[in-house]
Amino acid sequence: MATALAERSENRIKEPTGLSDRIQWLRDYYFEGNKRPWNNQFSAWSTGTPWDIQFSEFAFYIVPETFMLLDPLNGSFQQSARNVDLPEGFWSWRLPERRSWFVKEVMVNHVPREVLPGDLLAGARFNIVTSFCFNAEERKLYDRLLFSKNGARAQMKWFHDHGYGNAGATSGHVIPGYERALTIGWKGIYEDLEEKFGALSEMDKKGPKGSQLQAMMTSATMPKELAEAYSVLCFEMSEAEKDLERKGELLQMAQNLTRTPWEPPETFWEAVQALWMTHMLVMSDENYPGAGVSFGRLDQYLLPYWETSRSRGMDREFAKEILKCFWFHCNTAYDAMIKNGNQGITAGFGQLLTLSGLGSGGKDMTNELTYIMLEVIDEMSPILEPKPNVRLHRNSPEELLDKVVEMVASSQGAPFLLNFDERSMAGMILEGRRAGLTHLINEDNVHEYAPVGCLENTMVGNDRSGTVDNNLNLLKAVELAITGGRDMLAFVDPLVGKPEKIRQDGPKTGDSSRFDSFDAFWKAYEKQTRYIVQKCVDTYELSESTRARLFTTPYLSCLVKGCAESGKDITQGAAEISLTTLEAVTYATTVDSLLAIKYLVFDKQQCTMDELRQALEDNWVGHEKLQAIAKNKAPKYGRDDDDADALGIKVMDCWCEEAWKHSTKSTRRQYRPGMLSWNYWAGDGYIMAASADGREQGQFLSNAICPSNGADINGPTSNANSVGKVLGGKAADGKGDWEGYLNPLPNGASHTITFNPSLLKDPEHAAKFKAFLRGYTENGGTALQINMLDPEVLKDAQKHPQDYRHLLVRITGYNAYFTTVGRELQNEVIERLSHSRF
Amino acid sequence: MSSEEIVNSEAMILEIQRMSTEDGPGIRTTVFFKGCSLNCSWCHNPESISKQPQLHWVGNRCIGCKSCLDVCPQQALTLSESGMAIDRTLCDGCGECAEECPSTALELMGETWRMSDLVDEVIKDKVYFDKSDGGVTISGGEPTLQPQFAAAFLKSLKERGVQTALDTCGLCSQKALEIILPYATMVLFDLKVMNSERHKHFTNVGNERILASLDYIVGFMRSHVHPKTLWIRTPIIPGATDTEENIRAIGAYIAEHTSQVVERWELCAFNNLCLDKYQRLDLAWAFESAVLNRKEDMERLAEVARSSGVNPEIVHWTGSTRLENDSKPENNATDPLKVVNKGCMTP
Repeated sequence: MATALAERSENRIKEPTGLSDRIQWLRDYYFEGNKRPWNNQFSAWSTGTPWDIQFSEFAFYIVPETFMLLDPLNGSFQQSARNVDLPEGFWSWRLPERRSWFVKEVMVNHVPREVLPGDLLAGARFNIVTSFCFNAEERKLYDRLLFSKNGARAQMKWFHDHGYGNAGATSGHVIPGYERALTIGWKGIYEDLEEKFGALSEMDKKGPKGSQLQAMMTSATMPKELAEAYSVLCFEMSEAEKDLERKGELLQMAQNLTRTPWEPPETFWEAVQALWMTHMLVMSDENYPGAGVSFGRLDQYLLPYWETSRSRGMDREFAKEILKCFWFHCNTAYDAMIKNGNQGITAGFGQLLTLSGLGSGGKDMTNELTYIMLEVIDEMSPILEPKPNVRLHRNSPEELLDKVVEMVASSQGAPFLLNFDERSMAGMILEGRRAGLTHLINEDNVHEYAPVGCLENTMVGNDRSGTVDNNLNLLKAVELAITGGRDMLAFVDPLVGKPEKIRQDGPKTGDSSRFDSFDAFWKAYEKQTRYIVQKCVDTYELSESTRARLFTTPYLSCLVKGCAESGKDITQGAAEISLTTLEAVTYATTVDSLLAIKYLVFDKQQCTMDELRQALEDNWVGHEKLQAIAKNKAPKYGRDDDDADALGIKVMDCWCEEAWKHSTKSTRRQYRPGMLSWNYWAGDGYIMAASADGREQGQFLSNAICPSNGADINGPTSNANSVGKVLGGKAADGKGDWEGYLNPLPNGASHTITFNPSLLKDPEHAAKFKAFLRGYTENGGTALQINMLDPEVLKDAQKHPQDYRHLLVRITGYNAYFTTVGRELQNEVIERLSHSRF
Repeated sequence: MSSEEIVNSEAMILEIQRMSTEDGPGIRTTVFFKGCSLNCSWCHNPESISKQPQLHWVGNRCIGCKSCLDVCPQQALTLSESGMAIDRTLCDGCGECAEECPSTALELMGETWRMSDLVDEVIKDKVYFDKSDGGVTISGGEPTLQPQFAAAFLKSLKERGVQTALDTCGLCSQKALEIILPYATMVLFDLKVMNSERHKHFTNVGNERILASLDYIVGFMRSHVHPKTLWIRTPIIPGATDTEENIRAIGAYIAEHTSQVVERWELCAFNNLCLDKYQRLDLAWAFESAVLNRKEDMERLAEVARSSGVNPEIVHWTGSTRLENDSKPENNATDPLKVVNKGCMTP
């Protein structure tokens, strides 16, 4: 049935094409999932002390689905951890040195090594959960900071349970200085560390700075020793190999690994091998499988190696096989919790790579490797990792856009995210100015930016901006403005079913039923916004400061500029650009709710504020007519309606200004605004009370900067225009932050539009779609995810999930296999497609 | 008219469709005027024929609040288990019920737009027009029935650098064309049936006036800078226009009368997604049980068109065709996922 449907549909599911036998085998093997004899599941390692702990739970505080699992995960890692023999004097070392030795010891001497059949890259298992290497005192401190009554975990849970959102010091989400690691090799990094250590005073050498640099030096030798061990393995395998061609490959791999990544690579194969080894060890170091550990502009910094090898006669298709092996390895990050199934926390990790984009002087940087990588993506997809992001700008070449549109047409949606340079760079320039970092982000270098994770714009190799660490439901401020600072609904502990007493949490902004104008309501909303932002900052501080004191990632610190220079770890805010991002969630629901309050209570007087409040408390039950008016008659953001969008701009200004007012106390990281919603708009829809826009409790909130579900009734151009408008559009005087563009969100904003596949039915229409993208460059946002789905295929996939294992959907800029997301989310994707009223 | 009068002049508009990709080149905004001079029995937009606003009821939106019943001054509405009955003899299209309806189940189709507002609305997509060589199409209904407004509207857009298209069935006065054409960058012209008697049978009027309009437009184009482009469109309606003889005859006419001017001849496949619209307007539809063309039929007719004397390269065909293995036509009218290509079939 499903097959028949797929055959007759013009929008059939994309199949991989042009894969050689070895790549086909590796890809098929990967999709065998937990039936595979080999996998890259987390293994846990302990110092063997009774107080040892391995699982860095604060990295999961932004994943509400895991809250119930924190204790079980802690426990299971503790129980399954294998002991590692410690060297003499271990406990006399400072924490960073203990930790760097331990991670290296595990990776080099304990984790098994394999090379899969036909694989051209070494570096297989890397998912580890390693001891924090605490002594008893440190463990006590950790417990107090995390698990006491007002500790990080309890505060984080309160914040989430009461509908504010979530916040936590998360790993990943950084573009390490891979280009530097390739250019000077780990040897160069090591020598630089040695020099910096040598330059310290004798006192500093013995203090925390010296210890940090020592730890980083230990870490800097980890890739060397691991590569050497893999080299031995490759050599042994080549000895036993009968097939001459394969034997030669294994020998070459052995050779590659004896030199790199310690020495700088010369050939393309060496460069990709060195990059992979360097990259996977970041995930080992952080004990975090890849989320947002991004590659940056891969087509730029691999180009010299590509050109060298091509001039020496490297076969084009063989080079693509090397890249395809790299693709395969990136996907094995997902094995981390493979025995728990492939849903939830392992969906959408986001090892992002960036292609094309502007260079200095407005030059387009598209090159041969850009197209090679797009070919690889096209031939491998559908596949989840690494996630590609193609940077477009006003002068992107026709050929690139043709390729982009062709790939959109042949896939079920774009197998990449599009990033729009002018709008994005305007935001980064703003960040440089507002954060006092114009020496690091300015008109001369802003083109070097690249997104991490999904679409979060950062600089490269010196920037960690906490792009997923603070996720705030703006809608909470509307609720608190209605109630005068108290939860509308009492939180009910789901385990015991007992409602908590409602308290005065936010400021007393007055009895909203006495407000005589919308302006009065707006003032209350502003105050409550100030409060929820402060609450988010306070909540985040607890895990941020804990991490800064007790969790170091010396290996990653080697790859981020600012750490060696300051003798501090990246977790202590040592990156040159060390910001954290307040990601606003529920933007459109918030704007639409404010529009509805204005419309219902003040402009049209369809009800009083008390009646509206009652309707919300009753979840609209018994107030169906009012709900229908709120849904269908009140204005909405996303329709290119200037009046409605004007309130959207006001909301944007309000919360962005609040974000810029804050910095973390422990690590001095300036807050900056952004709009990513990951999947919170789905889950938090069950936590937050009904909203004035007509949404019931349990219905989804709006996603990132997208209009509310079904609100964009005027089609893609109006949707895009609204998004561009609330991002500031273009400066009236032409003096924007980049070529007239404005953008209050340096992080960028996730925007998804689902198109009818008929839009790409022939070359003439494809040209129209291309023109739409050119138009989006002018009028739209910072990033666009294109969905192109046939709802019939999706409905069939719901009925026959077994037939659609590979069907990818894209939500909030991260990809997920359709059949692995929850039913509600599936329905939501189908609903979006219709562009219908809601 | 004075400039102020023009700015404030009004038209009866059925719908504004943005990012329209089927009504001329590039990305377009199509403005559907309400009211048509023809009455094609297969019309895909029956709500565009009457110039008056018309009420319809979309059942799956109704929440059953009955607010509408009380506000109707004519007491034309009855809600029963079988749905809403609109007494068309009583309803005068005042729209009070639609205004009251909280869920937009009752909708008044047709809205008065002021010229300046309409210009402001369509200009919002100018960037997309510019990037795609697109623009604004006036369609309908029949925009030439509101000629002063149509001309001033297109003039205003032209002054703002927007390319414009007139989509017409040709049943209009020469005077209307005379004032509109100078401001249209292109014309989309419908030729449906070449045999005038058959034309009358299906549309209530012969095609003499229509052919005269086409001749006038072609003559106009030959002696003026604008319009620059002419597309002819022929709806392929089962049992009505889909004979080889008809296509050959239209082709011969195009070849003889429009050579050097016509750029494209589109054959637009029949589409049945409008069935629900007829039901909601309490109208019978003669083509209710007509079956979609097969892809082979469309390709065969396109081949006939190509060999009819026209430059074969100008022939295109568009629209949905029957899904394989489907024995009867799908009624997807309640399925909002299926988007009707409105402009394809100007009634």
